[in-house]
This record gives sequence, C-alpha cells and structure tokens, in this order.
Amino acid sequence: MGFIEVNSRKIETNEEGFLVNPDEWDKDIASALAMAEENIDNLTEDHWKVINYIREYYTEKKLAPMVRKVCKNSGFPLKYIYELFPSGPAKGACKVAGLPKPDGCV
Amino acid sequence: MEKKKAILEKEFEELSERDLEKGLAEFKDKLNAEYSAYLQSCVHCGLCADSCHYFLTFKDVKSLPAYKLDLVSRIFKRYFTFPGKKIPKWTGAADFDRDIIQEWVDTLFGRCSLCGRCSLNCSMGLNIAYLIRTGRSVLARLGLVPSGLQSTVDTAVEKGNNMGIAQEDWEETIEWLEEELQNEVHDPTAKLPLDQKGARLFYTVNPREPMFFPLSILAVAKIFYAAKESWTFSRGNYDVTNYGLYSGDDDAAGLMSDRLVQSKKELEAEILVLAECGHGYNSNRWEAPEWLSKKYGFEVKSILQIVAEYIHQGKIKLDPSKNKDIVTLHDPCNLVRLGGIVEEQRFILKNSVENFVEMTPNRLENYCCGGGGGQLAMTRFAERRIKTGAIKAEQIKKTGAKVVATPCHNCIDQLMELNKHYKLGVEIKTVCEIVADALVL
Repeated sequence: MGFIEVNSRKIETNEEGFLVNPDEWDKDIASALAMAEENIDNLTEDHWKVINYIREYYTEKKLAPMVRKVCKNSGFPLKYIYELFPSGPAKGACKVAGLPKPDGCV
Repeated sequence: MEKKKAILEKEFEELSERDLEKGLAEFKDKLNAEYSAYLQSCVHCGLCADSCHYFLTFKDVKSLPAYKLDLVSRIFKRYFTFPGKKIPKWTGAADFDRDIIQEWVDTLFGRCSLCGRCSLNCSMGLNIAYLIRTGRSVLARLGLVPSGLQSTVDTAVEKGNNMGIAQEDWEETIEWLEEELQNEVHDPTAKLPLDQKGARLFYTVNPREPMFFPLSILAVAKIFYAAKESWTFSRGNYDVTNYGLYSGDDDAAGLMSDRLVQSKKELEAEILVLAECGHGYNSNRWEAPEWLSKKYGFEVKSILQIVAEYIHQGKIKLDPSKNKDIVTLHDPCNLVRLGGIVEEQRFILKNSVENFVEMTPNRLENYCCGGGGGQLAMTRFAERRIKTGAIKAEQIKKTGAKVVATPCHNCIDQLMELNKHYKLGVEIKTVCEIVADALVL
C-alpha cells in the first residue's frame, strides 16, 4: 500500500499504483497519478479526451473499455494512444482514469 | 500495511476444522507415487538456491526452493507417512494448522513463479514447481487463492475469457482489425475469419490482445495472409490463457481447456494453434489432457512452430534489413523450459532481423522475468515481483539490445514494467510483430 498526495490530501493506492477506492477519483487525482505513473506533468486536451471517455465508460459499466472503443470515441489512431500513455491502456490510461486493475495478463 | 494484514488474518481465522480436513483430502487426492517419492527425496544439498530468482534477490531462507518444498513435505509426512504419524517431531513433520497455512499462502503463492528452474538444477531431479503447485491446489480448495489471481480464474469461467470481453466487442474488434489489414496489404479481400468451418488452423489469442494490444493480432493475420493460410477464429472460445494452471484449481483449468477442444471439433479444424502465450501453451499442449483425463487425438501447435514451417517451406518471404535494431530474446519459462519450444523462435528471429543477440543465460537455463506463476495478477506480491525482475533487467542491459522479443503476453507486461522501473529504454515486442515488419508481400 502507498499513497499519492493531492492538494495536501493523502489518497491511498495499492502496491501497483491503482487507486484503492476508485470512487475517490477526481481531476486533481488524475493529474497526480499521471505524474506518478507516466511522468506526465501536464495532461493535454488529448489526454483528457481519453481519460474522460474511459471514466464515463467505467462509471456506467464498471468495466474498462476495449482499446477499439477508445480509438473510435476519441478519433485517435491506436499508435497515438500508446504515445499518450506509454504504459499502455491498462497500466497507463485506465490507471490515470482511476479504474481498478483489470483481470488477466496485465 | 495494517489494513492488508488484517484482511489476511481474518481469512485464516475463519478456517474451520472442517476446512482443514477438506484441504488434507485435496492433498491426498493430488498425490501419486511420483509426487510421494519426490516429497521424501530432498537431500538438502542446496544446489537449488542459486537457481531461484527469489533466492538470488532476497537471500533469505524462505526463498530457498528446498525450504518451499519442505513446507509441503512437512504436511505430507505428518498425515501420509507412518513415521510422521507416529513420531512427527523426529521426522520433520508438522501439523496442518492456521500458522502453516498462512506461510503456505505467503510462500507458495508469493515466493514462487512456478518457473521450474530449480528442478533443472536439482541434484535429485525433483519436480519442485509441481509440488508447489500441489500446495496451491490445497489452498485453492480452501478459498485462499490471492484475490487478483482468483478473480482472473472466475472471470474466465463465468464470462468465457479472462478479461470479461463481451462477444459483440470481440467481433467488433476483429472487424476493425480486418479493415486495418486490408488497408495495410492493399487488398479488400483480406480477412480475419470468424467461425469458418473446415479451416486448417483454429487460432486462439490472449484476451489482453483484443482488449488493449491488438497489433499482435494484426501481425499474425498479416503473416497468415502472406502464407495464404486457411485459418479461423472462434466467435465464442478464443482465450488461450488458463489461470487455473497458476491457482492450482484443476477443475476450472480443465473446463477452460475443454472449451478450446470443443470449439476445435465444432470448427472441424485440423490444428489448434496457440498464440504467443507461455502458460497457455503449457496448459493446452501438455497439462490439459491430464486435467481432462483424455487424449486429444489432434495436433496442438504454438504459432511459432507454424511460422517456422512457413519459413522452411518458403511460404513467406522475409527481409531482415527491415529490422535493423539489435534484438534480443526472452525465453518464457512455460513455453521453453516447461514447454519444449526452444529453437523455433531463434530460427524465426535470425530470419527476420539483422542483429540478433542472445541474453545469458538463455534457453532452458533462462531466468523467469518475475511475472510468471500468476505473479502479475497478485497485487499483494507486486513489490517482490518488481524486485525479482532486476535479474532480467540486468540480463537485458548486458545485451545492448534496443528491442526485446518474447513469445508471451504475460512476460511482455512484466518486461514493460521492468523497462519503466529499471529505465532500460528498450521496446518490447512479440516475435510475430517482428516477423510482420520483415514481411515482403
């Protein structure tokens, strides 16, 4: 267990840097996670487009969206998603969007 | 830290006497003459110490393969041998109680990736990894499989694949990849077939490919296209993974493998072809006939064997100058040491890249990346996983390679994390992605 500090609040993360309580997520936490996990100090409009879509999808379905849906919704080509989030859609984008760790080989 | 400990202790406190009996019954059920002999044969020579990436990392007795084996042996002796029943203290036998069960969870799940390197270096030739898995089977019976690993098994059993992908999403992704392939090869007739009866090959994937990393599917489809192969996916059963191998739950494992067997029959395909997935190969090629207590009666091959055949038969043409960076290869334990696919990937890479370098040690003696045995799924032990990966990171650094190829999606994920944590500055790819880049159409 660890934590990230956001505006002098301590937000709990698990051993792999995912939020312990996904419901705690807000935009300041996303920025802090992006810095901690992806070394991104300034999330761009393109980052937010991906993050917001993943967050909305998760809020509705309690699942991470497939990368196909992320591409379709954002209009970004697949390779650009990997450039935006170097750790990939799961350990990069979904983690920054405050989702829990998905099952499977990730 | 405190919160985690509290959860764990609650799990053990809740175990009833009846639970402990169930655990011992499972243990008895798993024993055969071979395992019983192994459990009484360790001579404590210590040769296994330096073969284990946990021991090399932590240098503590709990990480010693002989110690891990002894944890299982103590219980075996206490309940299943005459001297152990009569004079337990003199024979190193121990009661199956909550304390030892707690140590089993921490050690058999948390300090072993079932990589089998200790067995290779064991002076008695004991199959230590399988005995540790037997201990995991007992823990699975008691409901003590660490959560991320258990939920991956549950998702696969309930949803048909280990990431819970809905069928329409799988189909939509395949349609999308088909368009991508058509654009790439400039041929509107290029296909990624679903449920095509009578195709020669029935190809399976790791759900992480359609979910998050579909370029590896596109790469294989491009190779099939170049070789003019007759192949198909299944609409329903395409998951090559089998986390029952890691959790120790043979019933769940058998159920998952049987889905592929049934789909292969329904599709009337000739060969079941397994994607680049180490444990998926070991499970579906070697273990499943044991879990299902029946012979397959058809061929099961790794995609690497198929691609190597294409090169041998001149069915695909490759230009190594299209891959100029130095490439090294990580051998997945389940595919290589435990699976027997050793030379195909080397032959393929030597035909696909200009500069191929081996890491040391390699082939059967290669070190686990640290992510095997279900470690990637068990968040509880993530810190240990990254620490044990230092050995692999060092191996990679020494090669000077810019690209690390590995025929296993589980290894890829761990290597991606090691790349970030140890600042390796490499690219991690599947073997088929590299082949696809070298294709001359």
